[in-house]
Amino acid sequence: MSDSTAIRRGEPLLRLAAVHKRFGTHEVLSGIDLRVSAGEVVAIIGPSGSGKSTLLRCINQLEPPTEGRVLLGGVAVEAGQELSRAELTQLRRSVGMVFQSFNLFPHLTVLRNVSLAQERVIGRSRKEADAVSMQLLSRVGLADKAQQYPGRCSGGQQQRIAIARALALDPKLMLFDEPTSALDPELGLEVLAVMRELAENGMTMIVVTHEMHFAESVSDRVIVMADGRIIEEGPSAEVMRNPKTERAKRFLQAVNDR
Amino acid sequence: MMLEILQSIASGIPLSIALTIVAFVSGAVLGMPLCGMRASNAQPVRVLSGALVLTLRSIPPIVWLFFIFFGLGADFIQISPFEAAALGLGLITAANMAEIYRGALTAIHPGQWEAAAALNLPPLYRFVDVIGPQLFRIALPSGATYAIGLLKDTAIASTIGVPEIAFEAYHTSQRTFHSLDVYAVAGLFYILISLSLAALTRWADVKLRARVAR
Repeated sequence: MSDSTAIRRGEPLLRLAAVHKRFGTHEVLSGIDLRVSAGEVVAIIGPSGSGKSTLLRCINQLEPPTEGRVLLGGVAVEAGQELSRAELTQLRRSVGMVFQSFNLFPHLTVLRNVSLAQERVIGRSRKEADAVSMQLLSRVGLADKAQQYPGRCSGGQQQRIAIARALALDPKLMLFDEPTSALDPELGLEVLAVMRELAENGMTMIVVTHEMHFAESVSDRVIVMADGRIIEEGPSAEVMRNPKTERAKRFLQAVNDR
Repeated sequence: MMLEILQSIASGIPLSIALTIVAFVSGAVLGMPLCGMRASNAQPVRVLSGALVLTLRSIPPIVWLFFIFFGLGADFIQISPFEAAALGLGLITAANMAEIYRGALTAIHPGQWEAAAALNLPPLYRFVDVIGPQLFRIALPSGATYAIGLLKDTAIASTIGVPEIAFEAYHTSQRTFHSLDVYAVAGLFYILISLSLAALTRWADVKLRARVAR
């Protein structure tokens, strides 16, 4: 499939406008506005329950927003609008997602994990898909695990496989939901190295993370969330070193004191 | 004498096995939509399927078979004893398998659905490639236990005249007056079939599990 809407670095890729998400009466997101340009790496930090994960999940409609709009690579989604299968396909295809708990398919080999969606979603042949998968597995350093089952791989390896799986559909944007939180520090490092490589090669990324060093050194921009709002936003070094709001100060203080 | 007993009871084995297979396979297949209905978003569908499962499971199999064969069979439909037994036991199996699937569904990590959705797998493939195979593995041991129970329940079909093991045993004992030997032999046959069924599922279970040891 050719990509007629190739997006160049620096062009707007994602825009959220006044996005709200309520579960019953509980408001998890209270009016999020966010713009992300192609090639940007944005880190989202903030206390648990501040809505970081929900924000990511609103972007690819895993959680449809209750109010507001999501514009992504030419597709606009208004809250409450029923998406056709084709629209949802176009939207989800352009977004890859990596989860805290990896969520690899345990009954499929590593290679099948990466190939499956290529065949079922974008109609690549088994041969084409496997070739792409092997290339991606090499990129994350795991070509030798292709015939293994995920259960035989370490957590760090599983997360790198999950990244390869998400990349296999040629996304324009990658969402990472606390990708290293379930890993011990050393295994987390190998995952961060893969993410760093992706960032250096121009992938647009939104990363929910508690890895402050990664947030500061890799991301272009840091967003601090609390109580369903963006309370602070700016260049990484600035936000991390000189937070302006009291709430952001408190959070960063707590992180730095650990 | 013993040989004659063995032979005449053994002649019931094929129908016992056939009835078990037909009832189990149709129940295992029908159980899936029934399970899906129980998880439906539409309340009427949930209530209807819930009531169906409750009715099928609460009434003893023998009452179902009499209801179908003597009740419906006498007045409404042309039905042979085997068909009546397969229909009754198949429906009861569907209700029980639906419950087994429901339990198995809750055992699948919610992240599996999310990953499949985030990859945008079409709903059919979400089930065929991702959820179905895991569901099968989780449901296999309970399903096998149920199948062995079902094998024993097929003896009830003798009451409506299906010439399976229990039916042949009854008539052999009437003819020979060797009731003790006859029923011991019948029991032995049930044990042998159950054991092979159990061995088969254990083999399948080990084979499937060896690959995905977590």
